[in-house]
Amino acid sequence: MSWWRYPIEGIGKILISGISNIGEIVCILIRTIKCIPYVHKNVGLIVKQMVSIGVSSIPLLFVTSIFTGMVATVQAEFQFRDLVADKFVGTAACKMILIELGPILTALVLAGRVGSALAAEIGSMREKEELDAYTVLGLDTYRYLALPRFVAFITMVPCLTVISNCLALIGGWIVCVLALDITSYTYYTGMQYLFQPMDLWAGVIKSFVFGVIIFVLGYYHGIKAGAGARGVGVATMNVVVSSCLMILIADFALAAVLFK
Amino acid sequence: MPNVNINPDDVMIKLRGLKKIFGSQDVLLDVNLDIRRGETMVIIGQSGSGKSVILKHMIGLLQPDEGEVAVDGITISTPKYFDARTIRRKMGMLFQMGALFDSMDTGENIAFALREHHPELTEAQVQKVVTDKLKLINLVPEFRVKMPSELSGGMRKRVALARAIALSPEILLYDEPTTGLDPITSDVINDLILDMQSKLGVTSVVVTHDMVSAFKVADRIAMLYKGRIIEVGTVEEIKNTANPFVRQFITGQRKITSEEE
Ligand SMILES: Nc1ncnc2c1ncn2[C@@H]1O[C@H](COP(=O)(O)OP(=O)(O)O)[C@@H](O)[C@H]1O
Ligand SMILES: [Mg+2]
Repeated sequence: MSWWRYPIEGIGKILISGISNIGEIVCILIRTIKCIPYVHKNVGLIVKQMVSIGVSSIPLLFVTSIFTGMVATVQAEFQFRDLVADKFVGTAACKMILIELGPILTALVLAGRVGSALAAEIGSMREKEELDAYTVLGLDTYRYLALPRFVAFITMVPCLTVISNCLALIGGWIVCVLALDITSYTYYTGMQYLFQPMDLWAGVIKSFVFGVIIFVLGYYHGIKAGAGARGVGVATMNVVVSSCLMILIADFALAAVLFK
Repeated sequence: MPNVNINPDDVMIKLRGLKKIFGSQDVLLDVNLDIRRGETMVIIGQSGSGKSVILKHMIGLLQPDEGEVAVDGITISTPKYFDARTIRRKMGMLFQMGALFDSMDTGENIAFALREHHPELTEAQVQKVVTDKLKLINLVPEFRVKMPSELSGGMRKRVALARAIALSPEILLYDEPTTGLDPITSDVINDLILDMQSKLGVTSVVVTHDMVSAFKVADRIAMLYKGRIIEVGTVEEIKNTANPFVRQFITGQRKITSEEE
């Protein structure tokens, strides 16, 4: 009879569940941040997490960064060939890499590599009742599990972004010298031309925010994971999809704020 | 086999009108049960009947939709008025699969909560507690360096028990302590449950569907059926019960035979 009610109800349900998800996600973030006074007591756990993030993602980041730097430089040269001087190839590559490519690429790679691993780890701990075991022993899971991971994410994502930036610039330099007939000197002076420290800092600030996004979505999907191996699989997929989306949206919003 | 003095009026854990519904699934409808100080109460019931859910209510991991849970006189089912920490200090829980912290070795599993709650203890004191607890579950101190992944199912449960008693609780909750173990290993666990009662004087709640274990460790047995406790009694009373559902369960029959009705 009232067919029009179904789409409206559907949209309403999606809105309500979306809002309650956001509520829970913000709650996770607040409860984690409240544990920050205990950071100094958890240095061991934090270092362990930082090392595991670095070790698991650096090989992948190494390859993706170098190749992206190479492609960006080749395209910069090709698109502007005969229009602008060779020295601007370095300028274009540097701006592109520091402001956008490095931070976004690193964040997306880490969302896929360590964000999903976080959800899988927390999801299987939930499944094996390890999270309950912490609670029963009077240990706050936010302090012992969330906090070390949070600190590791918000420090390692910017660090890895800077590393990725350097690698991408090296990739650009390699193609210049080997394929494009641009000397190291030209590339290097081009990089410095028009360079502003803000270019680098904008990328670092953005990657800090991306670190928060990857952590909180990974943790959220972990504690929400359904039962069994299938539940954990679905959770990891949800992390990758939702954090990639959120990273791109946040990137746009931050661009508007940082480059007014 | 009550080997400690149990006062029937001294109730340690009190469940009244407990109701819990997950989505559209009624798990607990109206659970009423008193667990006396110092006794070992065994709750039996089919898989999926809500035994673990009852245990989780006792330790505040779940909140009831309706009804009351009180531990040692303190109501814990209304989150507003209780400090979960004080009551949990009194309780230890052995989870069904052990739930050991996989990233820590055995010694660290046992010592972790102790270190966090008692920062004043020296490392030597902490290690002494670990050794003592390992001794209580009949394991040698050298065992502390083993990782959980190296342990068999029975060993995992023993280590989990050592972890549960590390903070010297007054109440121990066991979730299917013998499920998935061979009969000999099961009996080792049964003996440990009895040891905990006699050596530490703890009040114990054991959830199981293993009748051999239930008859061996219980002071009293309660049967959960369709969201309600349908019978409570001593081992002898349960063995001679007239209730057809209880008889069916303890004898392991698929159908209720007509003469028992
Ligand atoms: N956290 C939960 N969310 C939804 N359903 C649950 C939850 N915990 C238990 N259940 C459901 O409650 C029922 C009883 O579970 P449980 O207490 O684990 O049974 P058992 O008697 O085998 O220990 C099961 O059908 C289970 O699916
Ligand atoms: Mg169970």
